[in-house]
Amino acid sequence: MRIKVWGARGSVPSPGPETTRYGGNTSCVQVTLSDGTIVVMDAGTGIRNLGLTLAGPAPRVNILLTHLHLDHIQGLMFFAPAFRPQTEIVIWGPKSSEASLESRIARYISAPLSPVEVRELPCDVSFREAPATEWEIGPAHLRAASVTHRGPTLGYRLTEGDRSVCYIPDHEPGLGASLHDLTPEWISGYDLAHDASLLIHDCQYSDDEYPDHVGWGHSPLRDALTFAHRVESERVLLFHHDPLHSDDFLDAFAGTATERWCELGGAAERLELAVERREIDLG
Amino acid sequence: MEGQRSLELILARNLLSSISTPAFLVDAEGVLVFYNESAGGLLGRRFEEAGKMSAEEWGAAFGPFDNHGQPIPFERLPLTIALREGRPAHASHCIHSQTGEQHDIEVSALPLVSTDGGFRGALAIFWPMAEAQEYGG
Ligand SMILES: [Zn+2]
Ligand SMILES: [Zn+2]
Repeated sequence: MRIKVWGARGSVPSPGPETTRYGGNTSCVQVTLSDGTIVVMDAGTGIRNLGLTLAGPAPRVNILLTHLHLDHIQGLMFFAPAFRPQTEIVIWGPKSSEASLESRIARYISAPLSPVEVRELPCDVSFREAPATEWEIGPAHLRAASVTHRGPTLGYRLTEGDRSVCYIPDHEPGLGASLHDLTPEWISGYDLAHDASLLIHDCQYSDDEYPDHVGWGHSPLRDALTFAHRVESERVLLFHHDPLHSDDFLDAFAGTATERWCELGGAAERLELAVERREIDLG
Repeated sequence: MEGQRSLELILARNLLSSISTPAFLVDAEGVLVFYNESAGGLLGRRFEEAGKMSAEEWGAAFGPFDNHGQPIPFERLPLTIALREGRPAHASHCIHSQTGEQHDIEVSALPLVSTDGGFRGALAIFWPMAEAQEYGG
């Protein structure tokens, strides 16, 4: 299973000279399974660059949307394979009692926000609400679970053989709770992330910034590390960087994160900040 | 480890543990899975000491009864109505605390239904009548 980060930024794209190293594209992670099946987690602006690499025949692409905030769907309309009739795209996302997944996404991919409508996309696109039970894509088992954010939001776990990646890019599990003290059954996302080979997790804020953003749906460093420690994931990729965080800020932030991770008993080489185009081979 | 709680119960528990209004939380099966510190004060026992309780257990432990001293049938309790009928319910009645005190309380119970329409449980908030009158007056 190979992982590639195409966008690690949260909230809004933040291109510019201050963000060239970590990247300014919003959430998008590619997972390539052993048989070549491609699963894309979120369709932030990072998916545009991913689409450009899929120039050859890519008959079927699965896109797992955690939720429909713009930073997780904005790239959908700029995903080149969506404009090829021979491509089949299956979009998975959270269920809502209010409207179907397709009609909720169509609010963005429709006039006046978009020059194309969903029904005009040349590819064969279908929308599926993520089931409550495990399902399969190629050789992988998938699981989705609702997690603490704003509005219906999922985290995903994708398992192939004994390797697994858990993706929870927007998550505030410490809201109104102490992650140190709660028993596992009461921690949002615990089951999904427990023992994962790789946990990709929200870490939008520093601890100093967090008091001004409580309830916004994102984690401060303290909670991201405590969550990762409690769920005992093998490796951790801190994700969804705040648009205000420059490369220099994130370099220093990575240093602090590593120090604090080691204090919790973690190994320094098992924790990193997500960087656009970073590739990780999980074996 | 217990199975993972639904997000709705997790959020409800986080809310209840962050407020001083006494409140109870039950899962979809009616098992009492949490009550907050203020409810513990009213009931005379902290949740950490009491632990989870089945519907029959909490019904018996806190013995709600009416103004004439008659036990209120389980199916008429606001929490039971919220659970079984999926609608909010309100009542005033008396409870015995574990320390033998008697409290007149108001109870409002609300069902918790997830965004995908699934029934996840219910929560009940309590208000001691004396305090309610003081507050109102
Ligand atoms: Zn986001
Ligand atoms: Zn979001």
